[in-house]
Amino acid sequence: MILAENFVTTETLLVRAMKLLRHSSIKIGYFIALAMAALGAEKQVADRAYDELRVKQYDAAITLFRQAIAETPGQIGLWKDLAYTLLKTGENEAARDAFGEAMKLQPSDTHVAMEYAFLAYETGRKPEARRIFDRIRKNTPDLQQQKTAEQAFQNIDQPLAEGIARWSQALAASPDNFSAHQELAQLAEERDELALAGEHFLAAWKLKPGYRGLLVSRGRVLKALGQTEQAMASLLAASRGAEPHSAEKARELLPKRYPFVYEFRQALELDPGNVELHREIAYLLLAMNQRAEAEKEFEIVAAQTPDDLLSRAQLGFLLLERGARSEAMPHLNLVMEKEDGELADRVRMALKLPQTLRRRTERPLSQTALEAKQLAQTSYEKGFMKDALKYLKIANENDPVDFDVMLRLAWVNNILKDDAEAIKWFALARQSPDEKIVSEATKAFRNLSATESSNRTTFWTMPMFSSRWKNLFDYSQLKTEFKLGGLPVRPYFSARFIGDARGSGQTVPGVNPQYFSESSVIFGMGLATQVKHGLMGWFEAGTSVRYRNRNDVALAVSDYRGGLSFARSWRGPMRQSFLETDDDAIFISRFQNDGIFYSQNRIGYRVVESEETLGSQASLFWNFNLTADARRQSWANFFETGPGLRFRTTGMPASMSVTTSFLRGSYLLPGYPGGKPNFFDLRIGLWYAISH
Amino acid sequence: MPFLISFLLFTSYQIVGDEPNAWPNILGSIGMTPGNGNMVVIPAGAQAPVGVWLKKIEDGALVILEGASPLAEELGIHATAKKIHVRSLTDVNRPQLPILWERPLELPVFELPARAHIFTTERWEKAPLVAGVRRGKGAVLWLGASVGKLGYERFPYLTQALGELGVTPPFRSSRLWAFFDTSYRQRADVDYLARRWRKTGIAALHVAAWHHYDPDSEKDEYLTRLIEACHRNAILVYAWLELPHVSESFWIKHPEWREKTAIGQDAHLDWRKLMNLANPDCAKAVAEGVRGLMARHDWDGVNLAELYYESLEGVANPARFTPMNDIVRAQFKSDKGFDPLELFGARTGDSAARKIFLDYRAEMARQMQEQWLGEMAAIRKSKPHLDLVLTHVDDRFDPRMRDLIGADAARVLPQLEKQDFTFLIEDPATVWNLGPQRYPQIAERYKPLTARQSKLAIDINIVERYQDVYPTKQQTGVELFQLVHTAARAFPRVALYFENSIGPEDVPWVGSAAASVTRCETVGTKTVVDSPYGVGIPWEGSAVVNGKLWPVRSNTTLWLPAGPVVAEHSSQDTVFRVLDFNGQLRTASVAGKAVEISYQQSWRAIAVLDRQPTSVEVDGLKEKPVFVKRDDGAFVLTLPSGQHLVSLQ
Repeated sequence: MILAENFVTTETLLVRAMKLLRHSSIKIGYFIALAMAALGAEKQVADRAYDELRVKQYDAAITLFRQAIAETPGQIGLWKDLAYTLLKTGENEAARDAFGEAMKLQPSDTHVAMEYAFLAYETGRKPEARRIFDRIRKNTPDLQQQKTAEQAFQNIDQPLAEGIARWSQALAASPDNFSAHQELAQLAEERDELALAGEHFLAAWKLKPGYRGLLVSRGRVLKALGQTEQAMASLLAASRGAEPHSAEKARELLPKRYPFVYEFRQALELDPGNVELHREIAYLLLAMNQRAEAEKEFEIVAAQTPDDLLSRAQLGFLLLERGARSEAMPHLNLVMEKEDGELADRVRMALKLPQTLRRRTERPLSQTALEAKQLAQTSYEKGFMKDALKYLKIANENDPVDFDVMLRLAWVNNILKDDAEAIKWFALARQSPDEKIVSEATKAFRNLSATESSNRTTFWTMPMFSSRWKNLFDYSQLKTEFKLGGLPVRPYFSARFIGDARGSGQTVPGVNPQYFSESSVIFGMGLATQVKHGLMGWFEAGTSVRYRNRNDVALAVSDYRGGLSFARSWRGPMRQSFLETDDDAIFISRFQNDGIFYSQNRIGYRVVESEETLGSQASLFWNFNLTADARRQSWANFFETGPGLRFRTTGMPASMSVTTSFLRGSYLLPGYPGGKPNFFDLRIGLWYAISH
Repeated sequence: MPFLISFLLFTSYQIVGDEPNAWPNILGSIGMTPGNGNMVVIPAGAQAPVGVWLKKIEDGALVILEGASPLAEELGIHATAKKIHVRSLTDVNRPQLPILWERPLELPVFELPARAHIFTTERWEKAPLVAGVRRGKGAVLWLGASVGKLGYERFPYLTQALGELGVTPPFRSSRLWAFFDTSYRQRADVDYLARRWRKTGIAALHVAAWHHYDPDSEKDEYLTRLIEACHRNAILVYAWLELPHVSESFWIKHPEWREKTAIGQDAHLDWRKLMNLANPDCAKAVAEGVRGLMARHDWDGVNLAELYYESLEGVANPARFTPMNDIVRAQFKSDKGFDPLELFGARTGDSAARKIFLDYRAEMARQMQEQWLGEMAAIRKSKPHLDLVLTHVDDRFDPRMRDLIGADAARVLPQLEKQDFTFLIEDPATVWNLGPQRYPQIAERYKPLTARQSKLAIDINIVERYQDVYPTKQQTGVELFQLVHTAARAFPRVALYFENSIGPEDVPWVGSAAASVTRCETVGTKTVVDSPYGVGIPWEGSAVVNGKLWPVRSNTTLWLPAGPVVAEHSSQDTVFRVLDFNGQLRTASVAGKAVEISYQQSWRAIAVLDRQPTSVEVDGLKEKPVFVKRDDGAFVLTLPSGQHLVSLQ
């Protein structure tokens, strides 16, 4: 009741003015109804609207009028009759807007303009109503309308003028009267005395600087006056730091673009106590690398809002950066004292102090973590890897010691090709109390960290006894490769050992003996691609140095070799059955530039895997091996098959295993070594590899 | 038109988990009670097995979900990695209304299934925040964020969204009062408005009478039509006076009687133009005018509102401070030895002097109220059916009111022992920003002041508040329903300022919010309801109440009396039906072809009957009342105030 609109004071006079218009309105509706009926079937919706109107079913009529307008939006009559029907239901604002649409369609229709103006006045749009009545009273040739408009204009204008005079007088008596400034400003704005309004909005705001809504009002009137820069300053100040309703109103009046620095400066000149403005310009200057100026702004923010730890930290970093450590430390110490999250860790990092481990124990957080984990799993299963990552991060945030989440984070990052991040999570997951997680994480960590580090040295060796040759063979390689940024190939240095215990077979005088192996160490440098889907390409050039006295080759010969390697394994259900293949197509210069193809395949079943003594394993498998070459040399073309056993025990290093195979082989080309096309061979070998 | 048509009745709700958030406040505000209903709230973080809940939804449950969850995911509500800063919202119910959160949230942008009906979006990015999804026979109301602690601070139109999903109000009250300013609705069809008001649950309309203070044939004709339309729809009409504002013409005609402020100006403050009622000539003229106003129209009561001084700024603003007319100044000077104008000059800062005058002023206000209550009592002699209301700002919850405007409830409430009137407590503007829980506190503070608690009422101001309030400047939706609901539980009567403030989107729910029900349960075929002032429940067909055939029901509502009652369906029908009754119904029964109702009321009662009786007896005496026939064929019967037994044959 205290806030009842003051327009009721002039209501009687307005009513009398409106009488002139009112009586014609419904007649217009019926006339249009008849006219539309004559227009035919396409006007059915409008007909129905008028039918409903006749029986005073206003809600139904309004719905139908709106439908009819949607079909024929240019019909001014429909808009007018919609407006009149809305008036019947008391929906004055909607009626005003409907008249507004009609006015747009036919601006010369003074009758509609007057209706619009009356409703604008009744619904609180006093300045708009006043302007329309003013225009009509000055321009219409219709004397009756002129008289009505004049009366309506005076009904609005006179109280405004009186109010302005009254509050001006009140201000003369007490110049610091806030509500007098405010009242005067509002009345002046309603009377289009915008300069006066701007002046008193500012005066009122200076008396109560917390009322930044007054700056919105000032910005609005200054904008209407064309004083763009001052308007911008007012609106910008109100849009930052004001209560949200005022800030939102200011935002509506501001340009869409982000403000310029000078505009922030002007806003701060007007409203120097606006800490939000200081904060925003501080970050803006920081982004623009104007660090000295940013520092000044952060100092103001820190002084005005000592608890804004982010700004304190930022100020500390800026000071630290320019060597003012003693000035920085009070800010940074405060952050470390009062904050225990990421911000404090960032400060510790900047100060090269150890970070702290935290565990949040609130029950809702763990609930959130659980839910996030479920969502992550669903996202993972549906292939939404980015979402899975997001939910896992939430889960980790809410339960930072859930190692299962860490492991999942590692795998998802790995799938998303962010191996650096994946390694970080695998490393963390290795600290799990759950051995399974440790095992999986460790393995993955090793594999991934090896591929991710800038250089990697690997050594592998495969000594093997062959019953057929009654000889002990060994193949080994020491290799250091280098990762060069994002290049798809990596250079490496390599030293290979290919040798055996016996050296050569039966010797025939005058004929070079048949050597069992190359009996050499081959030093080389080469390029290798990364392994993708099990496939890798490589090529190296080097020198082969024999360690055994042989007269078929020089002590040191050039050696070029290269090829493609493919290694892949597939696991069956429960990961117990498996199929493995190792295939190499190699070019070797010292074998008369021959190309040799090796294919070793195993299909098998893992028969032992101890939970308690993890790492103790045994697998039974069947071999299918094929060797062939391009030069069709008899020794290099054969097929082997037979059972095998691979095992490792708990005492052995993780990457060591023993393999035994009993093979039946057949040479595929005549001139077979040993003179027989078929052979048996029992092979007992050891595999060991390390990487660093 | 609702995008889901459902005939399911949702009268109670369940909440999954231990953290209900503010859902009991939200659902309780429209009369819903905790129980085993088919409406289920699953707040953010609550465990909800997907398969189980999907089946329940498909079987017809209405599930309310907050944020991201496996169930939401299964329903196609997917949180993307993109996050936005949410502070400003747009709702389909009132797209132009600014909805702002006090504290913004960083929320993910959700993708919704194509069939989802979006109710609320973030204003700038248009990201969905409230939506409905149909699934099988049921539906899901999904919210992008929790509802918060109070229930109204984020999403004002959750009730309306539930309505779109098939939820209807479980109770109806038709006991509200509302203020009405004719200048806002001059071109409206009064019959249309009256029907709508009754549908909103309005029992009495307090009409701005200062527009009708002076005789004016056209305005008088309009007012007559308005009163008749209200009576046809069982609404009583009160003359709402805002003395010392009398009327525009009175102000113009009598500049010599105008009140003055402390800077010597005529007291034209906001819309009110205050007259000096301390001037005996002025007071006499005003009393005469009021008598004429009351005589010219068929009023049911009169409301003396805000009969004290200005302003809410008190002595801090001399430009608004009243009374400073010559008579008051001279009287005070004579009594206390100094001119009160000195408080703004030589005695500025003299707190003792200020206190003397403010006490004196509060006493003047009391005398003025007593004087005008006396004037109304005199009018009542010729119109004994007239009810009397004194609208008085609260000064117990906000005790500054006494010094600011001279309002002192403790001085005026003893008048209740001498005169029968309703003391309507108005929320001071200074506390409009506080939540609904202020109403029980206000009620508590009036208990020591009067034993006549049944004569207290509360006035809720539904206006744009000057304070920093969220999410809307003017109360609407959930906030409005919580205010009305809490007030209706704390006071016997609730008034709304004003009827034009209730938007069309709120109209269907306000009556339900105003219903005060302490118990509602279904036992077999019986519905047990306990309410302190009577209530309506959705009903189709005949009914037996407390074992007797019950005649008070419309085609959609069964109207029940106060106290515990048991209602059940009946195959037997009544000869008459009382479709609507504006009064405190006590009993009703059917005896052969007669229908009997008893009621107790301080003012006139109105009954709407489905047919015209051939005979009417009041307390055993035959009456020849005038029946008013409505367009829909119903007959309106006006009944006397007091306690009566009416027999209709």
